[in-house]
Amino acid sequence: MSTPFEKPQIISHIQKSLNYTIFDCKWIPCSAKLVCLGNLARGTGVLQIYEVQGGELKLNREIEKAKPFKCGTFGATSLQQRHLATGDFDGNLHIWDLEAATEPLYSVKAHKEIVNSLDGVGGLGVGDGAPEIVTGSRDGTVKVWDPRQKDTPVANMEPGAGEAKRDCWTVAFGHAFNQQDRCVCAGYDNGDIKLFDLRNMAVRWETNIKNGVCCVEFDRKDINMNKLVATSLEGTFHVFDMRTQHPTKGFASVSEKGHKSTIWQVRHLPQNRDVFMTAGGAGNLHLWKYDYPAQRSGEDSEGGAVGVAGTVNLLQNVTLSTQPIASLDWSPDKQGLCVCSAFDQSVRVLIVTKLNRV
Amino acid sequence: MSVSEVSSLLNRDNTFSATLDHDGKVPVEHLDYGYIEKCKNVKHLEKILRVLRSGEEGVYPHLNQFCEDRVKSLDPTSRALRKEQPVATAASLPTEEWSQIREDLQRWQEESKDLEALMLQPSIFHGIGNENVPPVRGTNISVPLGQNPASKAKNKPPKRALPLDYKDWDKYDVDKECEMIDGSESKKDPAPVINSGHVKIRTRVDVTTLTEKEKLLMASREKDKGNEAFRAKGYEEAVAYYTRSLSIVPTVAVFNNRAQAEIKLQRWHRALQDCQRVLELEPINLKALLRRATVFQHQGSLPLAAEDLRAVLRVEPHNTAAAKHLTEVDKKIREGQPELPIKGRKILIQDIEEDEEEAEEHARPVDPRQPVGGVDSVVSPVERGDMGNAQKKPYGGGRGDGASPHSDASNGSHGHHRRGRGGSWDKHKAAAHESPGPGKAANGTGKRGSTASEPGAAKGGRPAGVDLDAPCGALPPPLARLKNEGNLLFKNGQFSDALGKYSQAIAGFTESGIDSPEDLCILYSNRAACYLKDGNSQECIQDCSKALELQPFSLKPLLRRATAYDSMERYRPAYADYKTVLQVDNSVQAAHSSVNRITRLLIEQDGPEWREKLPDIPLVPMAAQQHRREEIPTPEVLQARAEKAAQDTARRSELRFTALKQEGNEFVKKGQFQDALGKYTECLKLKPEECTVYTNRALCYLKVEKFAEAKQDCDAALGLEPTNKKAFYRRALANKGLKDYLASSSDLQEVLQQDPGVQEAEKELEEVTALLRQSLASGASPRKKVPITEVDGDQDRSVADSAPRPQEGGAINMQPADAYEFGHSLNAARSRGDAAACADLLSSVDPERLPRLLSNQLDGHVMAFVLEALDEHLLARDPGRVYRLLQSLHTAERFTVVLMLLETAERRRVTQLFEHLSSVQSDDFTKDDVQNMANIYII
Repeated sequence: MSTPFEKPQIISHIQKSLNYTIFDCKWIPCSAKLVCLGNLARGTGVLQIYEVQGGELKLNREIEKAKPFKCGTFGATSLQQRHLATGDFDGNLHIWDLEAATEPLYSVKAHKEIVNSLDGVGGLGVGDGAPEIVTGSRDGTVKVWDPRQKDTPVANMEPGAGEAKRDCWTVAFGHAFNQQDRCVCAGYDNGDIKLFDLRNMAVRWETNIKNGVCCVEFDRKDINMNKLVATSLEGTFHVFDMRTQHPTKGFASVSEKGHKSTIWQVRHLPQNRDVFMTAGGAGNLHLWKYDYPAQRSGEDSEGGAVGVAGTVNLLQNVTLSTQPIASLDWSPDKQGLCVCSAFDQSVRVLIVTKLNRV
Repeated sequence: MSVSEVSSLLNRDNTFSATLDHDGKVPVEHLDYGYIEKCKNVKHLEKILRVLRSGEEGVYPHLNQFCEDRVKSLDPTSRALRKEQPVATAASLPTEEWSQIREDLQRWQEESKDLEALMLQPSIFHGIGNENVPPVRGTNISVPLGQNPASKAKNKPPKRALPLDYKDWDKYDVDKECEMIDGSESKKDPAPVINSGHVKIRTRVDVTTLTEKEKLLMASREKDKGNEAFRAKGYEEAVAYYTRSLSIVPTVAVFNNRAQAEIKLQRWHRALQDCQRVLELEPINLKALLRRATVFQHQGSLPLAAEDLRAVLRVEPHNTAAAKHLTEVDKKIREGQPELPIKGRKILIQDIEEDEEEAEEHARPVDPRQPVGGVDSVVSPVERGDMGNAQKKPYGGGRGDGASPHSDASNGSHGHHRRGRGGSWDKHKAAAHESPGPGKAANGTGKRGSTASEPGAAKGGRPAGVDLDAPCGALPPPLARLKNEGNLLFKNGQFSDALGKYSQAIAGFTESGIDSPEDLCILYSNRAACYLKDGNSQECIQDCSKALELQPFSLKPLLRRATAYDSMERYRPAYADYKTVLQVDNSVQAAHSSVNRITRLLIEQDGPEWREKLPDIPLVPMAAQQHRREEIPTPEVLQARAEKAAQDTARRSELRFTALKQEGNEFVKKGQFQDALGKYTECLKLKPEECTVYTNRALCYLKVEKFAEAKQDCDAALGLEPTNKKAFYRRALANKGLKDYLASSSDLQEVLQQDPGVQEAEKELEEVTALLRQSLASGASPRKKVPITEVDGDQDRSVADSAPRPQEGGAINMQPADAYEFGHSLNAARSRGDAAACADLLSSVDPERLPRLLSNQLDGHVMAFVLEALDEHLLARDPGRVYRLLQSLHTAERFTVVLMLLETAERRRVTQLFEHLSSVQSDDFTKDDVQNMANIYII
């Protein structure tokens, strides 16, 4: 294009092939280390810690556990402790001290089936209030856990008796800007998106985007909810402006078809909530920027407030692999550094340049 | 769809008939340079591109490229242009850029290693500081997935693209669903929920249990949030997050950002505060200077804005934004009134609110390492505060109750940040120090710290009231202990016990024979405070006198003695003492108010000669004077310092001024004109040369129907800015209110002359002219009815206006240097009806200069008065001068207008004058000359 060097560039810095199927990778906060979670060929779970060192990924530690790990988060731990919460194929929620990981610090059989997704809040200086972990599972339930409470969840969002159980593919925390308010957003295989208000313990909003919801994420967890991105099975994603909720129309949204395949993940840049990256089923990454409209709310025909969605602009797109990119994580400490894992059994450290100029 | 759109569509269809053929494919003839070049339909071009790329019709790389370029030129964001690109690698970047990135990354790796090591050391608070974490939520609350039964029924089934199996179809009851949908729609329609963004965000963050590193991280995270909110135009929210960030770790950048957000919210005052703080921490912060310039500009302080912008340009001469801004500001300054020198402003002590807020912000000892305002950082914060204040708070003793047991602690942390303001006085501090106890102690240490060579008093950091053994000046430990005990008792309100302690200390002191008059003076002064509290004024006076013998011109004993005299109703010595206090420190508000009060009492008591009965007021030597920055007479010696101080004071009063003015404007907006009047009057005390304030106050006077005062203000405004439309207009209204329609109409004409488009003025003019005719018709001279209030008005104004008044003391300045002085002299003469004085005045001025001296002040009354003076006084003395004066008078501005509007009585006066003139024989003029001139004057 006309000004190639003004646009952010996505540079593949390190690529590392692994001998297992990797499902999730996360940066360890306040470090140059990352954890990879996956499934060894022999059916056990594996957790590896790598350190970025001079253009290489150096394996620091490898821990093998009975069940394959599906997902992990550091969201509910303090910066000093940095305990990793994981969900596995058997429906367990564990919290590990990575320095001494023989026994989990916290263990609960959270779900009957695989934990598809989990998210944490209240730790790392992110968001006020109690540390909590939310898990979403194939068994159709979404549960919120407090690491201080053994065995039982603090909130359980499940379909009522007689309702069909949908596979919950993704969960995310948001709206945690004070000690009381907190929301959980969950996406289901049938295209349902539900927003649970944990303060009132009720469903605040729901919608359907017609295709299975692969990933939802708030642009920031610890502010008055601002934007929500939901990605879908057939390659579109929706950006909801969460500031104005109309009684019937709900939240205004803009949708964009960026990929020709499933969008597996969306992750917002921790240093700029209006920039996010989507990871696609064809091994490609798209970097987007959301631009706000001149007025974020308008009036409907009856004079009620209704939100106005902005526009989404593509900043950069690259193809990394032929296999789906299943997970993506921005470094919370170093702007532009991110790690992603693909089903071609490799993990890549990427550098995105010029993010401060977008 | 508008007609043009339709026609354009039709045209397009004509030009490109059949964009698609029957199969929905792009016709082959469209794959052509000529067609693509003309086609404006992006959708169609994208289709063409798709065909070209697919290679169905053959591979034409160049045409393909051409089509892409065409699409790009029409719609640069077209999705068809998105191409999958391979990921970049190190090789695809320029070498320099990559090495830069790599170095950056390497550095980060190293840093994060160190950081991690730091993190691993557990905080001492770890595990104990969890009280602020909310408790675990109620156990296992089950939340149904549906919003409510109705919406569940409504939303669930249609959401599925297709029922997954036949069982689902079986369950589906159409009638029931329809019912539910109808029901739900009619039933609920709650109001929209708006998350306005800044609601309920706590502006403080509890970080007591966090390590330094974590605090930094959190602060920068909050800053990021603020930046994001700012970019999304959520300025309120941004301010909230910046405030949070500052409450964790205050940084220059965040203050700067918050200033910008406040500017966006048009909260000039707060923005200014933030800019000030940035500049305190970092005196040459270009952003802050630029932002402050913006604030000043919006607050109307153009000179200050210009000053800031120049400061920016000094550092960065090519800063285009600043240069542009500066030319703008300069232009405005030139358009506005000429800038008057900023000097000799009264420094009122009214920065309390600001300082308090600032103290709140800074007092949290988050970053004590930050140098604040160039204070000697060797001294511990508490002591710094005390030293700064010790000499400024004495009058607190006069009214203090000394009850606050916290005053030490609070004063310590508050005080140290205030020092940045060049030690200027501030009232709040006095409140914190109402007990003289710690104040005294501080005074002692202050002197030690600054004069004596012994190492900085160890007292710093320890509140005097708690540590009874803290050394005090040169006092030996037992005496120091006694004194500290005394201070503590005093603070607790046990004055008689404190008295005993001090007496013991004094006795011990005289016995020990130490030569330290300062300390003895302090002891006496403290004991005097106790006596004062106990109501024993006699003893108090004695102690104060002793203290003053030891240390002449000590502020506190003087003030206490004054208070004691005052309470004994011995006003004359009290007055003398208060005056002395003011000589020592002109900023002691309590003394000012007491002096005023006593002056009134004494005048009542002794009549106008009260001054003669006063005891001698000693002249305070320069060395003993404090806080007289504005009067430092040796700018050559202390130029740098004085300049800085002057700037500082100017800025402070500027701040205060703008704040007052804004408050005034607010009141006006709310319609509370009386309150606004007060504010404006205060404004004028600070800055008597501000034209807009006069006009604003005039408006308020008009609203409360004090027309005479309004007229005064307008006159003052016009004196400062002779072409101020508003002032003319308001004076017209005032004149109308005073039933002086003539003057009113001439003012209105002036307005219309300046700007013919002012409709209100036209309307008023019509009205006034009608009134004028009416009053003329009724035969009564409206001038008679007008209560002439010029005299009182002038007095009022001379209070407000510190500029030298030519007619002060009743004497009229007969040698006016300019139009302003001439106007004043003329007004003074006229207000007294002293035509003779006027004649003298006129005889002293050069007739040629008369039009210039009158400038635009000529109105019917002035004219009539001048003619009267000429006729009755000057004509007899010097007819030649009268002739010349008349000759030049008719060239004066507004002459014809005024002439036309003259009243009958005044016309008669003119005729009379010319009759007299023509009857006089003179070498200077002939009868014909007089006749010619009479033709001009008499219409």
